[in-house]
Amino acid sequence: MILYDYILSPSCYKVRLLASLLGVKLELRAVDFHPGREHKGDELLALNPAGSIPILVDGEDVLTESAAILSYIAAKHGQNWLATSDAGEVGAQQQWLSFSHRLTSALGGARLVEMLHFPGDLAALQEAGIAALRELEAALFARRLTGQTFLVGDRITIADIACFPYVALAPDGSVSLDPYASIRIWMRAIRAQPRFIEMPGIHRLHELAPDPLAGDA
Amino acid sequence: MQADERTQWVPAAVSTDILDGTVVPAALPTGPIAVWRTASGELHANGDRCPHRGMRLSHGFVRGNSLSCIYHGWRYGRDGGCEHIPAHPGLEPPKSINCGPLPVAEANGVVWVAAQAPEEAPAEIEGFEALKSMLFCATPAAIAEAAGGALKTELGGTPAHLVTAERTPSETFVVALVPTGTDVASKLAAATALEALRRVTESAT
Repeated sequence: MILYDYILSPSCYKVRLLASLLGVKLELRAVDFHPGREHKGDELLALNPAGSIPILVDGEDVLTESAAILSYIAAKHGQNWLATSDAGEVGAQQQWLSFSHRLTSALGGARLVEMLHFPGDLAALQEAGIAALRELEAALFARRLTGQTFLVGDRITIADIACFPYVALAPDGSVSLDPYASIRIWMRAIRAQPRFIEMPGIHRLHELAPDPLAGDA
Repeated sequence: MQADERTQWVPAAVSTDILDGTVVPAALPTGPIAVWRTASGELHANGDRCPHRGMRLSHGFVRGNSLSCIYHGWRYGRDGGCEHIPAHPGLEPPKSINCGPLPVAEANGVVWVAAQAPEEAPAEIEGFEALKSMLFCATPAAIAEAAGGALKTELGGTPAHLVTAERTPSETFVVALVPTGTDVASKLAAATALEALRRVTESAT
C-alpha cells in the first residue's frame, strides 16, 4: 500500500497511526504540501482530482478520503476496528466518521490559518471548533458513565482514530483543550495503545517507557 | 489579589478526572496551575510553569512520585523541588529550583487548591458528590441567575449544587454536584441539563 503523505497533515497521520497500530507496513511517498503545493500538481491531480491528501494506492484501489482509507485498511487488516453488524455500532461509527469532517473543517481550518497563514475567518473557525469539542466532551462523558472509554462499542475503533488527530492538535489553531476532562482521558487511552506513533505536536506517553533513572535509583 | 483571597479554597477539578499517574491543567486567580497524582494516587498541585524554560508542567508526565517537564525533562518531587536535570545527570539540583507546591484538598469529589494554606479544610456539602466540571463563558453571578437565583438548584430533575470559580472576567469553572448514589440515567440527565444551563447562561451574556 502506497500512502501519499505529508508529515504535518493530521489526515495523513490518521492513516499512518492506524497502520502502525495494526502492524501494517505502508510505503510512504512524501508530498511537498507546503510550500510546494505538490498536491495541486498534474501528477497528483491525475490520481486525485480533488487535489487533497492523503491518497492511498493499493493495486487497482485508489482512495482519497481519510475515513474511507481507515475503513479500507481496517477491513483488510483489523476487522475488530470496525463496527460489528449491530445497528447501534454501525450508526455510531458512521456518526463519528462524519463528525470527524467537522473537526477537520473547524479545528483543522483554524490550524491552517494560524500555522500556514491560509485565508479564513479564524474566530468563526475557532467557535465552530469549540462547539465540536463540547459535543465530543459531552459524548465521552456519557460513555464514561457507562464504563466505556472509546466512542463506539467496547473497544478502540477507527472512529477514535478519525477524531483523535484534529482534536489533539486544536491548540495549533489557538483552541484550548484545558476545559475537557473526558477528552483528555480519551486521548490518553489512545496514546497508550501499543505501537502508537507520534506526529509533530502529538507526543507519546513518556511515562510508559522505562525510567532512564531506574538503573541508578 | 487580597491576602484573604489567597487563603481561600478554589475548586480546580473533579477528583475522578485526574487519573493516578497523570497531570492536568487548572487555574487559580493567581494564574495557571498543574494538578497531578503520583502513581499511587496522592494528589499534588503547583504552578503550571517549569522554572527552567517556562513550559507548562501540565504538558508533562508523572512517573512514580515525580512530575517531569515535557521540554527538557526536569523532574520535580512532591515538595516541588527539582530532583533531576537530564542534561546534567551528575548534578544535584540546587534547592532554589522549585515549581511552587500549593495546598490541595479533596471534598465532595472536588479537588480544591489554594494559593496559601487556608486555616480550615474545604467546606463539605453533606451527601453530594461531583458529577462533572464545565467551563462557562459567563460570570458566576450570571450562572446563579440562570440557575434560578442560587447555586443550589436542580438539574434534569435531580437536586444539584453548583460550585464555581471565576477564572477570567468572562470565564467561570463550574462543578455540578449531585446526591451520592445517583443512578446513571439521572446523572446523564443532569449532565445534559448542565449543558442546557450553559447555553442559556452564555446566550444571556
